[in-house]
Amino acid sequence: MSEKFNLPPLNIDQYKLGNGLRVVLNRDMAVPVVAVAVYYDVGSRNEREGRTGFAHLFEHMMFQGSENVPKAGHFQHIMKAGGTMNGTTSSERTNYFETLPANQLPLGLWLESDRMRSLAVTQENLDNQREAVKEEKRLRYDNQPYGQIFDLINEMIFQNFANAHSTIGSMEDLDDASVGDVQEFFRTYYAPNNAVLVLSGAFESDTAKQLIATYFGDIPSQPLPPALDVAEPTDVASTHREWEDKLAPFPAFLIGWKTPKRRDPEFLALYLAGKLLYDGDSSRLYQKLVKGTEAVIQLFGFTDERRGPSSIFVGAIPKPEKDLSEIREVIMSEIVSISTDGPSADEMQKLRNQLINDTVRNRQSSMSRAQQLAEFTLYDGDPELINGELDELLAVTSDQIRNSVRKFMSSENRSLLDIKPAGKG
Amino acid sequence: MKAIRKTAPEALAPVPFNIPQAFKTKLDNGLRVILFEDSRLPLVSYRLAFLTGDADDPAEAIGRTSAMASMLMEGTLNYTSHQLAERIERIGASLSANASNDFTAISASTLSLYRDEVLELLGEIAFRPTFPESELDLYRRNAIEHLKFQRSQANFLANEQAARLIYGEHPYSRISPTAADIEKLDREGLIKYHAATLVPNRAMLIAIGDLDRESFLHQVNDQFGKWEKNERPGTTFPPLPERASRTLTIVDRPGSAQANIILANRSLDRLSPDYFSVLVMNQILGAGASSRVFMNLREEKGYTYGAYTRIDAKMLAGDFEATAEVRTSVTSDSLKEFFYELDRIRAEKATEEELTDAKNFLTGVFPIRAETQEGLTGLIVNQELYGLPDDYLQTYRDNVNAVTLDDVYAAANQYVLPDQMAIVIVGDADEVLPQARPYASAIEIFDTEGNPIEPAAVGSKSDEPAEVAGKWIILLDFQGQQVPVTMTLEQNNDAVSGLLETPLGSGEISEGYVSGKKLKATSNLEIQGQAVDFTIIGSVEGGTISGEISSVMVPAPLPFTGTREA
Repeated sequence: MSEKFNLPPLNIDQYKLGNGLRVVLNRDMAVPVVAVAVYYDVGSRNEREGRTGFAHLFEHMMFQGSENVPKAGHFQHIMKAGGTMNGTTSSERTNYFETLPANQLPLGLWLESDRMRSLAVTQENLDNQREAVKEEKRLRYDNQPYGQIFDLINEMIFQNFANAHSTIGSMEDLDDASVGDVQEFFRTYYAPNNAVLVLSGAFESDTAKQLIATYFGDIPSQPLPPALDVAEPTDVASTHREWEDKLAPFPAFLIGWKTPKRRDPEFLALYLAGKLLYDGDSSRLYQKLVKGTEAVIQLFGFTDERRGPSSIFVGAIPKPEKDLSEIREVIMSEIVSISTDGPSADEMQKLRNQLINDTVRNRQSSMSRAQQLAEFTLYDGDPELINGELDELLAVTSDQIRNSVRKFMSSENRSLLDIKPAGKG
Repeated sequence: MKAIRKTAPEALAPVPFNIPQAFKTKLDNGLRVILFEDSRLPLVSYRLAFLTGDADDPAEAIGRTSAMASMLMEGTLNYTSHQLAERIERIGASLSANASNDFTAISASTLSLYRDEVLELLGEIAFRPTFPESELDLYRRNAIEHLKFQRSQANFLANEQAARLIYGEHPYSRISPTAADIEKLDREGLIKYHAATLVPNRAMLIAIGDLDRESFLHQVNDQFGKWEKNERPGTTFPPLPERASRTLTIVDRPGSAQANIILANRSLDRLSPDYFSVLVMNQILGAGASSRVFMNLREEKGYTYGAYTRIDAKMLAGDFEATAEVRTSVTSDSLKEFFYELDRIRAEKATEEELTDAKNFLTGVFPIRAETQEGLTGLIVNQELYGLPDDYLQTYRDNVNAVTLDDVYAAANQYVLPDQMAIVIVGDADEVLPQARPYASAIEIFDTEGNPIEPAAVGSKSDEPAEVAGKWIILLDFQGQQVPVTMTLEQNNDAVSGLLETPLGSGEISEGYVSGKKLKATSNLEIQGQAVDFTIIGSVEGGTISGEISSVMVPAPLPFTGTREA
């Protein structure tokens, strides 16, 4: 079973407009839909102190109208064309995307170009979206049990403010954001030379290129945004913190480690180690803690991949009567086991099959392809990397996994967040 | 160059989309088999679905169907739970089972390289589960803990109450078994129930992807052909309760950062001939980000991150719901806007433009849903399980396009019922009750465990409402100018009403309330023939008051101070 898996490469055409906008076309005629993705090179990592949450608040402003599109017109245009759309903000980037019936490609390009060229910013819209964002923060974080723990652990792992603060931001900083800030942010970061445009799906290349030139070609470029330093010392900012969660029904804990950046061979090795530890019912920790000792209600883990220092987490919600430190012992001893003996041959085989399956499955939808292509273009300057990604992952050896776990997932240089229920009841 | 940007561009020539043709057959034992061959990618997805769901749980064994589904993966004749997980995950595949109100389904997906092995494992868990006692014991304990976790989530508590109020004694009223139900689940019962319900004559197998018809059918015959059919009597269900008037149900969740609102009434079942009219009506009213309630509560008012309406049409009955999570202080404003929109869609016909937009959305997104194997499987499974016509997917877009403005109007009047809605709000009851009280005559309050709380007890934890009755002389700061205003208030416990008089015009104060020292009231002023809402938020300290008045007429709230006339 160790023969090479031959996945047909995606058909990719890339070029750059005179104003610096990077364009990637992935033509695939299987279903008559087209995905349009615009990625801007700005995320919460670009925020300064006192303006946390701004990149995300700005994302909301991008739906509030531009020169030729009224407030909320974006939603309406897309929906009445039979499309779906959204925007999201992470530490790394802000993205905007729509999937449309294939013949509505001009609409998608018109809408995206109008707001890249001429965002309309008013005090009224800013106030209104500030309120919507505050409710989003309450809904997703403040009013959810354990809703704030991932933001907290980032502050414990990272020392550099750019990496440590949350994407949703603080209520105080949201209150301080002004119309002037929004306009300044737009000029600095929402320029064509700071963005990537990807089309994936059913279109004729010549038509698409012509439309792109028409709509985006004369948007002026801007001076490059200020350079960003996301460098981190090796040590985590804080090794232990207790957090009283007034909505949590049970105690819980979360452990986080600082890792190298995405696509770094050591990061890939840690990503695979994570899969073996916590991904699926056959994973080591599920079998030890959910089955085995039957000590935890819920086990979770994931890697947060960034262009700079990144992270890996493992967390658990133990059963009420269980000793949290014993559960942590089990987790650490599995990590030590991987760092001593490495994954078994069976585990390497499992990883191989899972990676192939995930890669193939992610190719089904045009939007999924468009988003992957946009990331490789924005972060690495090369959409073709999508065709080599699987091989990069399959090339990681058991020894590399062992060595990376030993180097990065230590018992000392890690952040431990202890969550205590503090409800009134 | 600039002119081309002024208006939305014309669409290109439409590209037709045809749902791929399925191959359908039926085995002698009644199992329906549906196959879509699609070799674009080396993937296969399977779904084995049964016409039995949580609603079919026997009265003495609530939770049994869901437990059975979960336990299918926890041990079979040939494999332990651990071995099954290993076998599936080692080939990078996934296999899972779950139950909904009406159906139970086993889903699998895999690289086509392992399609035979995965189909075999699918058969193994469907036919040969052993429900080991030790695994069932673990399931019970974990399910009880999981339930505690769910009870800490506001949306679970809101859905629980809404389902109870709409469905009454009908099994759709249960969104989860109770801890006591879970403790009663037993192995013997699961074994018998499995034999009685997971039967080929009430099942279908759907396969999509990189498959070869001949060899697939051969394997299906081999594996599923000997499976014996089993007729079972249909269940009869109690009718839904008749709701004569609007009710208010509050779940007190101390520490809540928001109020979760659900407004619900019964609607229609999935096979109702009105389905498409209701679908289009709901799209206009609240299904999406360009629908009326989102535009109002989020885009205009900023009360919430999202406000929506939805239709849940199940096999035997269904409901209509309007939902939003809002900041607690605008609970009453949000109810007001919700009811405004619910009344409006019943009172006035929608516009041609709204109708066209809704239809364009519903017909346009259809191919997007069919892009992935998971999406296409979902479409087919629903059609087949609900017993919709064979050409349902082919005629879906025509059926949407046939809906008229009159149909939408009739659908709104038949299925959106503001006068008999159940209002459910999960939040801090001290804050929520005074705001929501004016919207219903019958009020009930529960804690998060479902125990009733006396409405009179709510609010007693915080300060008594301040005395605000009387005539207040207020000075409003309008761009540095002091504008005199009088506010005459009457008070009944925490409810406040009265009159606001300004140099521009006067208006009734309604829906006001006092919580501790805080006063909140809205007045509808008639100014130069226009009705304009003014919202007063103030803090009362003995005979003095201070606060802000806001309105769409002024760019920023106007601060004020005032005193009560002796």
